[in-house]
Amino acid sequence: MQFFGGSEISPSPPVPTASGNNAHMMYVFNRNGVCLLYREWNRLLHTLNAQQDHKLMFGLLFSLKSLTAKMDPTNAEKGNLGVPQLSGQGCSFHSFRTNTYKLSFMESPSGIKIILVTHPRTGDLRESLKYIYNLYVEYVVKNPLYAPGTPIRSELFNTSLDQYVRTIA
Amino acid sequence: MGREVSESCVDSLLTEIVSTYNNRFYANKPELAARRIEAIGYQVGHQLSERYTMERPRFSDHLEAIKFICKDFWSELFKKQIDNLKTNHRGTFVLQDNRFRWLSRISTDPSVENTESQDPSAAAESKASLATMHVYFPCGIIRGALSNLGIPCAVSADISNLPACSFVVRIKA
Repeated sequence: MQFFGGSEISPSPPVPTASGNNAHMMYVFNRNGVCLLYREWNRLLHTLNAQQDHKLMFGLLFSLKSLTAKMDPTNAEKGNLGVPQLSGQGCSFHSFRTNTYKLSFMESPSGIKIILVTHPRTGDLRESLKYIYNLYVEYVVKNPLYAPGTPIRSELFNTSLDQYVRTIA
Repeated sequence: MGREVSESCVDSLLTEIVSTYNNRFYANKPELAARRIEAIGYQVGHQLSERYTMERPRFSDHLEAIKFICKDFWSELFKKQIDNLKTNHRGTFVLQDNRFRWLSRISTDPSVENTESQDPSAAAESKASLATMHVYFPCGIIRGALSNLGIPCAVSADISNLPACSFVVRIKA
């Protein structure tokens, strides 16, 4: 009997059309686990309330990062796991994919984590996440009315984010 | 001329000035904080106008000086000129910048504006009230620059239409 390999057991859903938003949802966390932004464009199942959902997501990513770093077969030294790393250094996971969605992740050296959930045929979103981080810097960090560490409430940021996410293939 | 500083540094510094004066130095006394920030702007404008008029002859009248502020001075500070200048020919000038650089990133809570279900002018008003503290510094700059050119005046700003900003200059007779 063979359980693994072979054809897909359940086919993935069709690729969404270009007119709708291609992404399902997005989270932005800061270094301390505060959820700065949660945007939802296309999500059918809501199992937990918002608080628990955010905590679950943050915990998941923290564990995934430390798991991937610990299981790295190529790295000789033991990295410092609590601290965000410069991009390119150390071992950092950047996405996982199931048959129904793909989750892409990016962490900046300042500890800002950006998570984007899209359809499973999406390519590598690292450049897109970097662009989103630039949007964050322009419209949130440089907003005189924003206090760091608090949830993001900026119309300019939301609009430009929605516009950009619509163009992600 | 001389060395340069990154624009992000200046932006962050200005944001922090307003925030510190409002929340720490003169907490609960917004009038005093506003006056202090405007005074800092006055000093800056004074010195900047000195620097930018070094090789120029004296201005023949008030209008020439205001035009200098609109064109050369504003280009040095914000890399663009004032978009619209109006006057009543009796000592009042309105300088309108359609996208004022230091206020271009101010943005408020979108959910508040949705639940209001009022016309957009109400939302614009609440945004303006939050941003008022941030215009005292540029008002001071204009006032300092003009008084260094020999024109005492009072400067206020109208931000009912962000990111456009109109500075109203009233020359003291």
